[in-house]
Amino acid sequence: MALQRSAMPTVYSTPEEEYRALTTAAGLHNASYMGRLKATGNDGLDLLNRLSTNKVIDLTSGQGAPTILTTDRGRILDLIGVVNVDDDLLLITSPGAQQQVIDFLDKYTIMEELTVEDITEKSTMFSVLGPDSKAAVESAAGTTLGDLPTYYSVTVEIGGHEVLIVHRPFGDLPSYDLLMGTDAATSVWEHLAASGITPVGEEAFEAARLNYSVPEYGREISEAYNPLEAGLIGSIDFAKGCYIGQEVIARLDTYQKIQKHLVRLEFSADATVSEGAVLTNAGQEVGKITSVTNIPTGLGLVGMAYIRKASALPGKVLDLEEPASGQAEITALPQLFGPGQE
Amino acid sequence: MAITMDGVELGVSISELAATKIKYFAAKDGMTENIGVRVAVKGGGCSGLTYDLQITDKQMDSDKVVEQHGVKVMVDKKSYIYLVGTELEFSDGLNGKGFIFQNPNAKKSCGCGTSFSV
Repeated sequence: MALQRSAMPTVYSTPEEEYRALTTAAGLHNASYMGRLKATGNDGLDLLNRLSTNKVIDLTSGQGAPTILTTDRGRILDLIGVVNVDDDLLLITSPGAQQQVIDFLDKYTIMEELTVEDITEKSTMFSVLGPDSKAAVESAAGTTLGDLPTYYSVTVEIGGHEVLIVHRPFGDLPSYDLLMGTDAATSVWEHLAASGITPVGEEAFEAARLNYSVPEYGREISEAYNPLEAGLIGSIDFAKGCYIGQEVIARLDTYQKIQKHLVRLEFSADATVSEGAVLTNAGQEVGKITSVTNIPTGLGLVGMAYIRKASALPGKVLDLEEPASGQAEITALPQLFGPGQE
Repeated sequence: MAITMDGVELGVSISELAATKIKYFAAKDGMTENIGVRVAVKGGGCSGLTYDLQITDKQMDSDKVVEQHGVKVMVDKKSYIYLVGTELEFSDGLNGKGFIFQNPNAKKSCGCGTSFSV
């Protein structure tokens, strides 16, 4: 299933202007299509720690972390953000993954005290993305965010409304999520736009997603892949003990057994390509395009694909099989929360 | 709800050696009478569900209780569904792992045996 961004305008001004804002300044994006769950009860962190890849058990109010729900075969169900807000948990899921996450938690809630509510429709979420995003949010809120580590949160006031800010990077692009009640949404959006943050629609956002190689649920994130293939090793704690799928993931890591890797691709100027196009190396199929789009500022097409490990090397040039045509160069093996990131 | 086979209610049993070990650990905690062990299932572990053992003398009304070899084995009603027919054993060989659950409901177990799926 692809991303559900139905409520989002495709373009506010021009794709070029919006993309430039995202990549050189700050862009304001309506991310309300992301899933939001509220988990209440004393056992939420303990349960999530037992069920998912990252260590979340020690998160205190204001702290948060990304973690992955996996099957007992180590395949990805979803990458979620766990944010402790006054000892309730905000779970940020992929778009449309809310019920899957609720069902998964419910299945393994046996004696635990935990209630999970889908608050997606009751709340609004904007993202301010870009190299200047922190300063832009601070300016709009009239306060400093201080040193806010990844997935940590703080409550501020914007336009007279209480807004929860979560530092959730978008690949290597700094990004802050702003969560509020639906009744505050219009006022906060207008306040942010008036403070100089450029509204960004789907087209420029998708271009930034692929330029910064952020995997998307239904394309690069699904049960077809494991977290190591997807470049999500930064959301795995290998020392915390058991969780569902841990044995498989630990073995894949220890023995270097992954078969393929998610890669970032750039294409030759003559390339004709769409999602699902087959990539070959010396005539042998090595993978398929999972996402592709045009970068509005003239860089051309960029995309992502899962490529067999032997061919998944930066600088490697692959051929596109008919009906696609042209060539694709692997430019990086992205790690979403890899070393060196904030 | 009781699960039966041939008219006999199935429960959770404990081997003599496991009962001896429970009594040993209970005594170390200063518990000398009404010795019990609560056996439960929690979400987690490599395969999805994992076992939980607690030495206790506190019984809940809804517990399924079996008394064997001087030890009360108590199982809450939710865990009972996953544990019915299970025998709690103890392994003390050189490669012993301590308490072991022989659970007929487990379709898959992880390598270390502490996690299972049904």
